[in-house]
Amino acid sequence: MSTIVIGLSLSFLLFLLAAGLTLVFGMLGVINFAHGALYMLGAYVGYQVALTSGSFWAALLVAPLVVAALGALMERSTLSQVYGRDHIYQVLLTFGLILVIDDATKLVWGMDYKQVPTPDLLAGPVELFGAMIPAYRLFIIGFGAAVSILLFLLLDRSKWGMMIRAASADPDMASTLGVDVARVRTGVFAFGAYLAAMGGVVAAPLVPVELGMGFSVIIDCFVVVVIGGLGSIRGAILASLLLGMTRAAGYTFATEWVELITFVILIATLMFRPQGLFSTKGRAA
Amino acid sequence: MTRRIVGTALMGLVIAAMIVAAWLVPGEQGVNLVSLILVWALFAIGFDLVFGVAGMMSFGHAALFGVGGYVATNLMVFHGLDFMSALAAAAVGGALLAFGLSVFAMRVSGLFFSLLTLALAQMIYVLASNRLRHWTGGLDGIAGVPRPALLGVDFYDNRNYYLFLVAVFVAGLALMALLRTSPFGRALRAIQANDVRAAQLGYNVNRLRQSAFIVSGAYAGVSGALLASLMFYISPQMLHWTTSGDVVIMAVLGGKGTLLGPVLGVALFELLKEELSQYTQYWYGLIGLVFILATIFLRHGIAGLFLGRGDEGKGGSS
Amino acid sequence: MKRRTFLKMTGAAAAASAFPAPFVRAATPEEYHIAAILSFSGAYGLIGGGMRRGAELAVAERGGKVLGVPIRFSWEDDETKPQPAVQKATRLLGQGANMLFGAISSASTLALQSLSTQRRVPHLVTISADDALTVPGGARYSFRTSNTMGMEVQMCVEFARRRGLRKVYVVTADYQVTRTGFEQFAARAAEVGYEIVGSDFAPLGTRDFSVIIDKMARSDADAILVMVTGNDGVTFVRQAGQVALGADRVIFGPVLQDEVLASVTGPAALGVNSGVRYHFSLENDPNRAFVEAYRAAHGEFPSSFAGEAYDGMRWWLRAVDESGSWDVEDWVKNFESSVYADSVEGRKQMRACDHQAAQVGLWGEVVKGEAPLPELTMRITDIFEADRLFGAC
Repeated sequence: MSTIVIGLSLSFLLFLLAAGLTLVFGMLGVINFAHGALYMLGAYVGYQVALTSGSFWAALLVAPLVVAALGALMERSTLSQVYGRDHIYQVLLTFGLILVIDDATKLVWGMDYKQVPTPDLLAGPVELFGAMIPAYRLFIIGFGAAVSILLFLLLDRSKWGMMIRAASADPDMASTLGVDVARVRTGVFAFGAYLAAMGGVVAAPLVPVELGMGFSVIIDCFVVVVIGGLGSIRGAILASLLLGMTRAAGYTFATEWVELITFVILIATLMFRPQGLFSTKGRAA
Repeated sequence: MTRRIVGTALMGLVIAAMIVAAWLVPGEQGVNLVSLILVWALFAIGFDLVFGVAGMMSFGHAALFGVGGYVATNLMVFHGLDFMSALAAAAVGGALLAFGLSVFAMRVSGLFFSLLTLALAQMIYVLASNRLRHWTGGLDGIAGVPRPALLGVDFYDNRNYYLFLVAVFVAGLALMALLRTSPFGRALRAIQANDVRAAQLGYNVNRLRQSAFIVSGAYAGVSGALLASLMFYISPQMLHWTTSGDVVIMAVLGGKGTLLGPVLGVALFELLKEELSQYTQYWYGLIGLVFILATIFLRHGIAGLFLGRGDEGKGGSS
Repeated sequence: MKRRTFLKMTGAAAAASAFPAPFVRAATPEEYHIAAILSFSGAYGLIGGGMRRGAELAVAERGGKVLGVPIRFSWEDDETKPQPAVQKATRLLGQGANMLFGAISSASTLALQSLSTQRRVPHLVTISADDALTVPGGARYSFRTSNTMGMEVQMCVEFARRRGLRKVYVVTADYQVTRTGFEQFAARAAEVGYEIVGSDFAPLGTRDFSVIIDKMARSDADAILVMVTGNDGVTFVRQAGQVALGADRVIFGPVLQDEVLASVTGPAALGVNSGVRYHFSLENDPNRAFVEAYRAAHGEFPSSFAGEAYDGMRWWLRAVDESGSWDVEDWVKNFESSVYADSVEGRKQMRACDHQAAQVGLWGEVVKGEAPLPELTMRITDIFEADRLFGAC
């Protein structure tokens, strides 16, 4: 039973990491390699806010906004220059952004690891189904579930979501209808950065905050996004659950093989259902 | 057309000058840097056959590079094979793996091809890092990769080994030049420009793309083996996805779809790294900045400066 | 086993190819040039700085000279990757460097070691713990003055014996060095009287140990052995703290915690037991002098990395100086039979058979520190004698 609860927490953590990536891909058609770097930046900014204010909650509120603003700046100054071009250039640009973000972070915060303490309220374990579950895990499940529902409603059901989807499906048509496509794109990228940073802050009490943390999650993010179907929030939710539960089972029975199992699922998906396991329609890449 | 010829000749001259200049610098500093450039350049020109000529954005070339290095290392270290045979085996190993990857990866195209090659290569990296540790030395890698023992020359001397690398590089470059101007190369360009029309013209599009991938695998295999012996060392780091990213950066920086552009891209990358890292620990960020600027403003890379813009590198993998 | 064969092979290849002039250093050098290849970025980027400060202090203490000439360091960053390590070391050897110092990750150090064998340049290791670095008949020009993984595992065994641990659950990084360590620990179970009640191999870079921790919490283990180091070890201890795993179980590991790691781990580190490479609290004159000088220069206590680097560099330079010669072979001969009676860790003795320093092993527990000590600090609880930690050669 505790394995299922922990599996859920793994799932929603994965979802928080990957949501922004799938959003940016779905709406802008850009594979954002720098997503992991933004996640790391979120964790560092969160560390700083938590240190200054003494509150994890302040960090969770403020850090994503800061990173979103930086994201908007990055999109305006670099990515917006290459939308008309081949996908490759956008991928490459985000690759360059990783290097810059990483070194800028190093410049500001230095090399040493940082730690964000678990908020006092959630520091201890909770007894559930006869097992001790860290309270922070339960928070992740609740928070992740709330974010996933909000995102789904926002993108699939709201007027904003419709505008964004219109701008991504047919920019020319959308702009003749009065949608400011450039601003929508900046907004979407900034929102993607916001989500990445939020993932970083939520992960910070679990792992040391350090420069390599972005690199280590980017592959996980890709896995969720691809399995869920590029650009699909609903797919990303389901993929996170599939992957999180698989991992929880993997760590229970065959820890050494967890990484490999992930890749096998990923490769099989790409080969046989490149549109994603949970996608009802194909999406042209 | 003349601009092209003059431009290519100029690029050739720059590269030749670099090779000669490194030799003329006394001591080992010059040759060490250019040795590294030549090995990576061989990797990059092979990569560009897939990326720039055939228009497939592979993000899994690290696998071919690393496996080539490992094939050669294992044969030499555990089975006592001589260097030249091991080098040939690395080419075969790279080509075979490329064939294997293509069987999987070419089921899909465009962005999915990139993602699938990335996933396959990263899986090989994970395997090499732990499950296959008896063969790869795990994350510690294998130290003591030998160098050739030929004609009584001591190739453990870096200046001598440099001459060997120059010879292999020139041979590889000449072969690639031939390939690219051959009917095979022209057919690949036709596919890149418009694969539907190429198919209607009677080209077997898939077969041609697969062949390009295999040739590219052989280049990657050889350069991986050369890098291992240059460094006396190999580790799964060579298989990591960032290695694939590096070669893409080099090719784009230099000018994809041109023969000599990627070589210049490698040279600039390594030179920047060497120089900047002596002055600042933030050199990687600066390279990233250069790279971003180049992506935005130098659409055709360094080669575009030599060749003039416009007639190269249109289209891509999407 | 296999690595030993390569080293022999490459050594033989190097010897067979009859080295020409550049490898035999001229007899009238103007300086003693040390090629220091450490990590200032990447996974171990944090460690390089401390090692540099330690080694520089060892040089400063001798008036910056050895064999009557000034000592010059070249500091290079290997980004915690072997390839840049070899690249930069090769460049410095091309400039005539007299020795290699480093690296930090065992992978980089092994790569440097093979370079040292090929180029016949002395190589000093003061941090990497892979047992393969010092094997009988191994690399002729390479020496390690610091701990080995094998000895740290012995310390875990001795600790289990002293504490009377009965049921141990082990989590091991899926990595050759730690896997070997686990096997060594498991092999001693019957003799010492503990039982392995559970075991998991976690991939390097595991960011979530929660399922494994849950399994531990549900087991009847009275102790948790964590054969996971660095970042991953911090992650483990933090996440274990969120279910208070250490409340009724002893958490211990070979190099699980020190002041640096504890500061990142936070309060969850309290009570964790760990092998310690070096500690500033050791009571002996050389150590008091070192700690005082270090604090005067840098305003902080030396880390274990700084201490080990200082200790090894000081020992090596002394041996070089005493040889009175510029012949590399004389340095090697002098150092491999050297006894270091005033080490900051007490006494160290170089073993000629495998070029490993035999030394005591330190063991400590994370406790709350009072100023000027760090907030979380190690209290040395046990000092294990060398003969319990090192087998015969």
